[in-house]
Amino acid sequence: MTADTAAATLAETPEARAARQIASAPPGEARAAEAELYRLLAPRLRRFGQRHLRDAHAAADLAQHVMVLTIEQLRDGRLREPERVLSFVLGACRLTVQHQRRGERRREELLQLHADAVPYADLSAGIHAGPRLDHQRVADCLERLPERERAVLVLSFYDDQPSEAVGAQLGLTAGNVRVIRHRGIDKLRRCVQQGDGVRRAAA
Amino acid sequence: MNTPVAAAATTGHLPPDVLLDYWLHDSDEATTERVDAHLMECDACGHALDELVALGEGIRSAFRAGVVSTVVPAPFVQHLAAQGLRLREYRVPPGGSVNCTVAPDDDVLVSRMEVPLAGVQRLDAVLEISTEPGVRHELHDLPFDSRAGEVLHLYRMAQMKRLPDHTARLTLLAVEPDGRRELGRYTFHHRAWPGG
Repeated sequence: MTADTAAATLAETPEARAARQIASAPPGEARAAEAELYRLLAPRLRRFGQRHLRDAHAAADLAQHVMVLTIEQLRDGRLREPERVLSFVLGACRLTVQHQRRGERRREELLQLHADAVPYADLSAGIHAGPRLDHQRVADCLERLPERERAVLVLSFYDDQPSEAVGAQLGLTAGNVRVIRHRGIDKLRRCVQQGDGVRRAAA
Repeated sequence: MNTPVAAAATTGHLPPDVLLDYWLHDSDEATTERVDAHLMECDACGHALDELVALGEGIRSAFRAGVVSTVVPAPFVQHLAAQGLRLREYRVPPGGSVNCTVAPDDDVLVSRMEVPLAGVQRLDAVLEISTEPGVRHELHDLPFDSRAGEVLHLYRMAQMKRLPDHTARLTLLAVEPDGRRELGRYTFHHRAWPGG
């Protein structure tokens, strides 16, 4: 793909279209585009927050902060290339995590300053939640796994432990643990899906 | 070169093992950043990650609900105790037996079976329960640390609390090229909690 083609592709994404509409409208008057951008980005911000902060409430706070910041930047025309809104959002997420880890208070000030201006400020309620599984079904499928795979999955997921920590407890290398873990989770997923044990969480 | 992530450039999506390593902090910094960037654009991979996270939460929930049995290392049991869970442990030497029970407010039941594990390559077990005469439950490829000198087994607590009086016998077996060799036999005389 050439640079021109890549740029053209970037400009046509739904995020880029929404961002351009917000940037080109008088501040606060592109509500439909703002709602669309929120709908597209909120789940992705939540995932980023959960991965890096390991806390659902902190993830919701991060999502709210970055959404408010992004909308503010677009409304004020400070995002010079609206079609690169995803790059901006990713950078804002990383900075927010760094600040959060350092105990910065700026996000709270920003939320207090702008929360009323963004009608969907309560992102924790609106953020799409992942699927929830019937734990008895998961347990039944876990019991079908070989003992070693079951133990690795329990040790890995009970506290979200990396492979090195699990391996140290079981006398395995981190590489061994990852292989066993991948095999086990694949079998578990297939078993749970066959049993139709998934129910979607209410929004 | 991060081949799995590079593969996304060809297929458009991340393999499940890359997502899993990413979620469990097993990917290096460069890979993590690439996955972060990809997930900011790709909802299909985002949903795939959500499914994996849900499986993980399902595992955690099942364990906390006491519906999973598993062999675990001693540090994990210590960790559970440190979290404030009520543990009931029974230590049994090879050939030994123990009278055991489960209280209504116990959270975890652990049997600690002392066993010589030096030189063992693979460990199996056979479980026989007096309520199921003639039935032998086979447990294959138990994880173990050969330095530990014991095997710890967590039971399905929810089920244990409902069981009547019974005797369970677990035999640990070293799997060797010419067959299985008994390492130890452990007997548990279980009594239901009075009034339970």
